[in-house]
Amino acid sequence: MVDDGPIRGATSIRRHVTIPADLERVAELRATVREIGAGCQAPADCIGDLVQAVDEAATNIIRYGYGGERGSIDMTAELVGDDIVVTLVDEATPFDPTAAEGPDLSIPPHRRTPGGMGIHLMRLATDSMEHRVRPGGGNILTLTRSRVRRPKEG
Amino acid sequence: MAMQTTVERVEARVPVTVMTLSGELDASNYLRLVDDVRPVYDGGARDLLLDLTDLSSISSSGLVSLYSILKVMQGEEPPDPEYGWNALHSMERDAEDGKTQEVVRLCGMQPAVAEVLRRTGIDAMFPSYPDREAALAAF
Repeated sequence: MVDDGPIRGATSIRRHVTIPADLERVAELRATVREIGAGCQAPADCIGDLVQAVDEAATNIIRYGYGGERGSIDMTAELVGDDIVVTLVDEATPFDPTAAEGPDLSIPPHRRTPGGMGIHLMRLATDSMEHRVRPGGGNILTLTRSRVRRPKEG
Repeated sequence: MAMQTTVERVEARVPVTVMTLSGELDASNYLRLVDDVRPVYDGGARDLLLDLTDLSSISSSGLVSLYSILKVMQGEEPPDPEYGWNALHSMERDAEDGKTQEVVRLCGMQPAVAEVLRRTGIDAMFPSYPDREAALAAF
């Protein structure tokens, strides 16, 4: 793991970590999210939501984006105003989870996207998700969660 | 390892197998958890309590493993774990059929874990208790 350690300024707390595309290593991303959440005095429900969203996002990148190929996930987490902003950068096959449709129970299960349950949980756990194609290949996914209010459901 | 399990047999009104999950249940270990339950069922256990007091997080993969554990304890084959919604759809179908099961119960869920089950509706599938003592009294 490459970890720059916390970078604390007058108005920001920031952490950066890189893991290989290995499901066993996703725990390091969760730990980093917990650290920055605690560092900016976020309530437990906020930290839990971000841990969830990052876990699901990273798992999908490793499982479906890299699909067993070697690669890495670069995560930056920072406090911006009252928002905790987590950015995940990979070099995997481009995939936009924000464009994935929510679960439609009228669709036969075999036609639903594997990992769709994780995207459903990511939406509920964040205030916003933004996806960009990374220049040169890959994805840039930004997950934002306020530390002072819960995301809207529905 | 992100998660540890321990298994013990407790005498309530009926013999109850208590499996304690500690750590984080995620995509790296959820299949192993299902594998841990198979010998429990094969050994004759028919009442299972999952003590989640020390489980700090559960991912969507973990939800699939909970449902797969239920299927194993009901003597059925669990769904293909690669298709999360498939498993969830099966759960919803069971719920619509009015199948209230008491084979697998949960206790001690931390708020973050309880929230994930609530958001996916899976909480309705499992009798749940605040702690082990309350759960054992219900068997």
